[in-house]
Amino acid sequence: MPEFVERGTLRTMIQACYLAIFAMSWDVLSGRTGYISFGHPFLIGIGAYSTAILSKKFGVPPEYSIPLAIVITMFGGLVVLLPALRIKGSYFALVTLAFMELMYQLVQVIRPDLTGGTRGITGIKSLTRGAEAGYELAVTLMLGVALGLWLLMRTRFGTALWAIGMDEDSVRGSGLSTTRLKTMAFLVSALVAGLGGAYYAHYTGSLAPRALFDIDFLFTIIVAALIGGAGTIIGPMFGAFFLIFLLEWLRPILPGAERYFVYGGVALILYMYQPKGLVAIAQSLRDRVRGDNYDHRA
Amino acid sequence: MKLRLGLIAGLSAGLLATTALADIKVGFIGSLSSDTGLSTLRGAQIAIDELNDAGGVMGQQVSMVTADTGEDVIEGVKAFEYLAESAEVDFIISGSIDDVSLGWMPRMQEYQIPTLDTWTSYIGIIDMVIEDPEVMAPYFMNIASDEALATLYINFGAEVLKAKMGFESVVILAEDTAFGQAITGLVTDALAPVAGIDVADVIVYDIGTVDFAPIFSKAQNSGADFIYQVSSVNSQVISSQYVKLQVPMAMTGVNVSALGMEYWEDTGGAGGGISTLSPVPSVGFPLDPVSQGFVDTYQSKYDTRPMIPHFNGFNAYHGLKQAMAAAEAAGGFSDVAAWNAEMLKQDLILEKDGQLWLRYGFWQHGEVEEVTGRTYPQNARFDLTSPYEDAQPSMVVIQWKEDGTVGVVYPFEYASTEFELPSWVK
Repeated sequence: MPEFVERGTLRTMIQACYLAIFAMSWDVLSGRTGYISFGHPFLIGIGAYSTAILSKKFGVPPEYSIPLAIVITMFGGLVVLLPALRIKGSYFALVTLAFMELMYQLVQVIRPDLTGGTRGITGIKSLTRGAEAGYELAVTLMLGVALGLWLLMRTRFGTALWAIGMDEDSVRGSGLSTTRLKTMAFLVSALVAGLGGAYYAHYTGSLAPRALFDIDFLFTIIVAALIGGAGTIIGPMFGAFFLIFLLEWLRPILPGAERYFVYGGVALILYMYQPKGLVAIAQSLRDRVRGDNYDHRA
Repeated sequence: MKLRLGLIAGLSAGLLATTALADIKVGFIGSLSSDTGLSTLRGAQIAIDELNDAGGVMGQQVSMVTADTGEDVIEGVKAFEYLAESAEVDFIISGSIDDVSLGWMPRMQEYQIPTLDTWTSYIGIIDMVIEDPEVMAPYFMNIASDEALATLYINFGAEVLKAKMGFESVVILAEDTAFGQAITGLVTDALAPVAGIDVADVIVYDIGTVDFAPIFSKAQNSGADFIYQVSSVNSQVISSQYVKLQVPMAMTGVNVSALGMEYWEDTGGAGGGISTLSPVPSVGFPLDPVSQGFVDTYQSKYDTRPMIPHFNGFNAYHGLKQAMAAAEAAGGFSDVAAWNAEMLKQDLILEKDGQLWLRYGFWQHGEVEEVTGRTYPQNARFDLTSPYEDAQPSMVVIQWKEDGTVGVVYPFEYASTEFELPSWVK
């Protein structure tokens, strides 16, 4: 790919790859089980801040700081968010949103010498130099995550998560521990979020609480998963690439905030037309070409 | 045949026109929807127009590509990448706020594209220049760093707030941004020991705050004599509520919305009594003929806000011309070390009534500023000592009066009015 596209396009693809990782991570928990998390930037932020602090402030090499950051994300997220799994629906969403806001406040006041306070952290060691190497790393990560999740979702665990999303009481009635299943889903989600957040921090080279623990960042992740196709592996990737490229293609035409109106409008129309996302549209087109009559619209 | 010839001619003309128009590309990075961002954008555009009218730079026309940051850190990184890799600009002029500049800084270090920051004043970036001058060679900041701004403000604290008004203690109301944190730190560390004013409390508020009544109550309960506000985002909200609530304490500090002529309208006329530190030039600041000429051109060209460019608009106008002059002397922008050396030599002195009024130059590497005892390489030149014969002061304090007029109250050499308390505080 790097041979065929411009460096600017590669940079756009890198951003899309990281957004795809974040969207897949959100989808494991929320797209499958129906537990809508508004606190996902909280997990991504733990991963990003952990590796940034370890590598920048304590001189830990990234090959150690990144795995450590993933473990910290899984542990920290579990301790804080596990109680939230005992509540359902909009309450769960609100509690997770509160965690994101709490994290935003905490990084500014607790040990600002480590977190950089409101200013964040700059000069985080870069793992790659140049667009091509950055692209290769990002796409490898994204495909690795996608493959790992695809394999996981083909197991009985993946099937059980789907079942929770459809009827949690029935799953519980069948003798399965839904709390254990949701905890597992959460851990997998946190692992991917921590991984993505950690690598993203080393890619951007700087972190700021306003950029990470932000409602816009959260909505971008959710919109990518939804318009791509929640509950699938390829959907969040489709959605991420679609959104990022749409915004970048609009940039020369609409350099100001107007492009976000177009972006929002397109996302809304797509979602209204096909709530199952771009994946379902693609499947529908494929079926039409093949002559099948099956309607994928919800 | 005619059609083919027409097409060939058209394409050739288009190609030639494009080539001629896009020989030197300037990238603008900043918010396209804020007065701050638009000030830099328009100042740079006027400079480009004047350069092109005068025959261009090195025989080439200059064009501009814009990249909106929306004052968001991650969007800032993407915007810098777009300018560097898609638009392939030669030079970048920035109207970014501190957080955003810090976000794209690693990209600037990687791409090594000459960049001029016209709004960001974070001293930490100048420290980066000192620590690694080679990597930071493309970077220049042509606003006095926040440390220099705060240092002179301390003098205002000592000479006006303490000596004239008799204030003994302050409560700081600061927004939760990098800028808020930086200014709070500087005021906290220096105001007490140097000006002899105690910091009674520091209250940090969210930039989305719409109801300041509880915050003002907390400030009153601190027992301080006056409020020091640090506000760069939605600053008109805190100002207008201060006036409408008739908070019985004086309020000064940094209020970015008060730097524009739209301030009075934005606050619905409820902005009197507010004073703010401002880099120069600012509203209420008498202008030299060259700067006045720039404002006249600006107003004839643009009829939307900001009606008068903020200080960074002036920085962009003069700074862009200096960057182009440096490029001409260095043979272009590609040899960053050569461009850096020529940029450091840039020195524009603007006089008013026969005396130095404004100076657009840069501190050299190793050159020590006497008051602070430190160096400020690649930072805008400023003067912290009266009578300001080496350069303009790093800042002035302006005050909006209750009748809607505005003037400079400090330093005294530049003052056009006197500092006074709002009527409900007196």
